[in-house]
Amino acid sequence: MIRVLFFGMLATKTGTREAELELKKQGATVSDVLDEVRRRFDGFPDGPLLFAVNEEQADLSSPVKDGDEVAIMPPFSGG
Amino acid sequence: MSDEVRIQEEDFSIEEEVRRLRASSKKIGAVVTFLGTARDFSEGKTVEAIEFEQYAGMALKAMKQLRQATLERFDVVDVRIVHRVSTMKPGEQIVLIAVASEHRKEAFEACSWCIDTLKETVPLWKKEITPEGESWVVPHP
Repeated sequence: MIRVLFFGMLATKTGTREAELELKKQGATVSDVLDEVRRRFDGFPDGPLLFAVNEEQADLSSPVKDGDEVAIMPPFSGG
Repeated sequence: MSDEVRIQEEDFSIEEEVRRLRASSKKIGAVVTFLGTARDFSEGKTVEAIEFEQYAGMALKAMKQLRQATLERFDVVDVRIVHRVSTMKPGEQIVLIAVASEHRKEAFEACSWCIDTLKETVPLWKKEITPEGESWVVPHP
């Protein structure tokens, strides 16, 4: 199981802060997680999006395995 | 416990942060601070309050990495970074970056780079609360 976290406007749009999903594919990446999220949440924004795997910045090609925490994030707006 | 980098709900004292920064070394000859504060007007709308959301685990880690990167990239003695995440009214303090160095040039450059890089690398999101409703802020380059 992969734990997916949504922040900011993405949490507002999906109506949730987190979701769990299963990736059957071997060698899955953040891109596969995003595809699954888009299937599950209609109208999920096209971007720009940022990603993290287990609290480290990642990109669409970063590997994802069972038990990972994947964050899908809008551009940061701190400061 | 080290507290040079903090994310907190409560307000902070610039004087106290600068005092602690200056206490870190007698080599310090310059201190530059950046203070970000909440505006009451944004993109043509009145702003009643702002609120921050953070990716709790990652935000503090990213801010600590930012302090380390600033220390490595510039010839500075010490850096402190404090960011608030509660609901803030116009005029309230949001973020403080304080940089100490032997000479002023390095402190100015490091402080400017540090706030620019914070905006790009620390997972924090600002929401503006206006009389018409709430909206997430789209960052400016």
